[in-house]
Amino acid sequence: MTADNMAADSSARARPDWAALARRSWRRRFGGQSMLLAFLIVVSAPIVLPYFWMIVIAFTARTGGVTSDVLWTACAVILPAVLIYSIVHMTVAAHRLRLIAGLILIAIVGALLAALIGSRIHFDNFRFLWRSDFVEEVRSKATAGAQFPSVWNAFFNSLLLAVFQTAIILTVSSLAGYYISRFAFRGRSAFLQGMLVLHAFPAMTLIIPIFLMLHWIGLLDTIAGVMLVLAAIELPFYVFVMKGFFDGVPWDIEMSAMTDGATRRQAFYMVVLPQVRFGLIAVAVFAFIRAWEEYIFVRTFLIENKNWVMSLYLFWVSDDVMGVDYGIVAAVAVFYVLPSFLLYIFCQKYLTQMTIGGIKG
Amino acid sequence: MARIELKNLRKDWGGANAVAGVDLAIDDGAFLAVLGPSGCGKSTTLMMLAGIYQPSSGDIMFDGARVNDVEARGRNVGIVFQSYALYPNMTVLQNVMFPLRFKAVEPAEAEKRARATAALVRIDGLLDRRPGQLSGGQQQRVALARALVKRPHLLLLDEPLSNLDAGLRLTMRTEIRRIQRELGVTTILVTHDQIEATTMADRVVVLNAGRVEQEGTSEDLYERPATLFVASFVGSPPINTFDGQAAGAMLSVNEARLTLTDSVQGPVVLGLRPETVRVDGVGDAGRTNARITAVEPMGREVLYTADSAYGVIRFLEPGAEPRHREGADVPLGFPPASALLFDKASGRRIDARIAA
Repeated sequence: MTADNMAADSSARARPDWAALARRSWRRRFGGQSMLLAFLIVVSAPIVLPYFWMIVIAFTARTGGVTSDVLWTACAVILPAVLIYSIVHMTVAAHRLRLIAGLILIAIVGALLAALIGSRIHFDNFRFLWRSDFVEEVRSKATAGAQFPSVWNAFFNSLLLAVFQTAIILTVSSLAGYYISRFAFRGRSAFLQGMLVLHAFPAMTLIIPIFLMLHWIGLLDTIAGVMLVLAAIELPFYVFVMKGFFDGVPWDIEMSAMTDGATRRQAFYMVVLPQVRFGLIAVAVFAFIRAWEEYIFVRTFLIENKNWVMSLYLFWVSDDVMGVDYGIVAAVAVFYVLPSFLLYIFCQKYLTQMTIGGIKG
Repeated sequence: MARIELKNLRKDWGGANAVAGVDLAIDDGAFLAVLGPSGCGKSTTLMMLAGIYQPSSGDIMFDGARVNDVEARGRNVGIVFQSYALYPNMTVLQNVMFPLRFKAVEPAEAEKRARATAALVRIDGLLDRRPGQLSGGQQQRVALARALVKRPHLLLLDEPLSNLDAGLRLTMRTEIRRIQRELGVTTILVTHDQIEATTMADRVVVLNAGRVEQEGTSEDLYERPATLFVASFVGSPPINTFDGQAAGAMLSVNEARLTLTDSVQGPVVLGLRPETVRVDGVGDAGRTNARITAVEPMGREVLYTADSAYGVIRFLEPGAEPRHREGADVPLGFPPASALLFDKASGRRIDARIAA
């Protein structure tokens, strides 16, 4: 290319149509965002809808059948509101205006819902929480006997199982993860690979041997037995996650703490652990929810009804030859889901960190 | 404060040797720099002094007592890491007070001491902040305060300035020197930067491949390097080196012929510092015509690269303005006393000089 050509070329390029370019990139951004929003709404619908339906049933169903008209009425109100807010979100840049639009929409939706279905909302389905004669009411006195626990009994059993299992997992995974991250020992990489294989291995296949082992040890039909089994099965994964977090803590800091006069243990507690606290929170939340939702193992290893946990209670409520009261089942489900849900809401910003720490493996 | 001695200190990692027999003595209150390229074993030596690594053999003596078996926390050594290694979960004050938590110091007294040390390194305004909210230079000062607050027998600085920008490096160099003088604490600085080493320390040890190449003052290293390695490592831009052959008093370097003051036999290396090579010098030896191939103005001086009878040679001329053009022919020479001769096989310097 000659010098003249280059000069001509650059002068042609020197005056692009900025306005047209700006319009084009705005169209692209708007198109891309609306596609993304539409995709997210479509994908999340099958996930959100069942939960929403569960809540609707729990608060509106009367003894007998389930009608879906309340669900569709609510959807007909909420879906347009979501769409309107999506459009507002894409076209309005100011956070303040978005917030005001959102609040107005919520107020309109609330008013509409109250007018259309407000009269059908009741808390009767939640009577299992306070009615001590609930068993006799659901089952006839003859078949009920004393075989059913109170929901609070199951709730505290679940809590016991989840809290102590989480404590075991936190203690072991942080200590083991630290050791694997910091110390070179023979067979370290084989150990790490072995843990991954263990995690890939379906634990259900071990259910009969574990049943027999628990029986021989004498831990069958105890919360402690289930707790140990669950912790053992889940641990390899959490050790791996914690190792990833510890890998991210520089060695200098521990060395510094030790020259400052700390023992290795003091350095671990005072300096290293605080730096992996997000990892600990993530592991704790996952371990808690995992134990809270456990069904197969508790169904197999817990026999007497005084040891039942929430998932077994839910099963019992829905298991009736005389026909199921779906209103109560849904109410129990809402009660059951609530702790997991709250935990998730409050800790979700830590949970997203898990991939950062864990990916380094 | 203590007098530190290293006796034939070795460290092996599996089969690999990191430190191969280091002997050193640092006087009470002295400031020693350990200078060497990466991987020369200087940081390993530092970690052994701090008690974090166990030496494979040899002794570490504090005031004549062997401390090999004393744990890191018992040695009362302050250390400033390259990364500063501040505790991110604590405030600056808590960071500085941290070492005192392990000593029998009353909390009130500890805080008083921490505040006094913070004032010494001039971070008294930052005590409530977290390390993440500080600039690199401030973090450096916090690390220094934390190392000093326990009144250490020995202060170790591991590449303390390498993460700072140029201006700050200059300030901190002076600051560290001031604080070291004020407290009179025995200090060892580990660095790969010769300017840091020569400006801050009283004495410099050059380490290469786990061995001490030379110990001395900055002038010793520059003017009387013991080995070719020291000569090439100290000085910027680096020294010109040319392989040559000596036969009696005759030295041939490529096409150039030089006369020696003493008789030498065999292969030698001639070292010419770029700042001693000059154009048309009075009384210069080794005169040769050279063609300039590159001109690099560096502000205060100009660096030229030229083809000469010796080979490719670099030389410096003071002044911002280049006086020679690329492609020009210039008569080069050097003061005879400035040339350095090394034995090719051993790398050690030979006392023989170039005759005038």
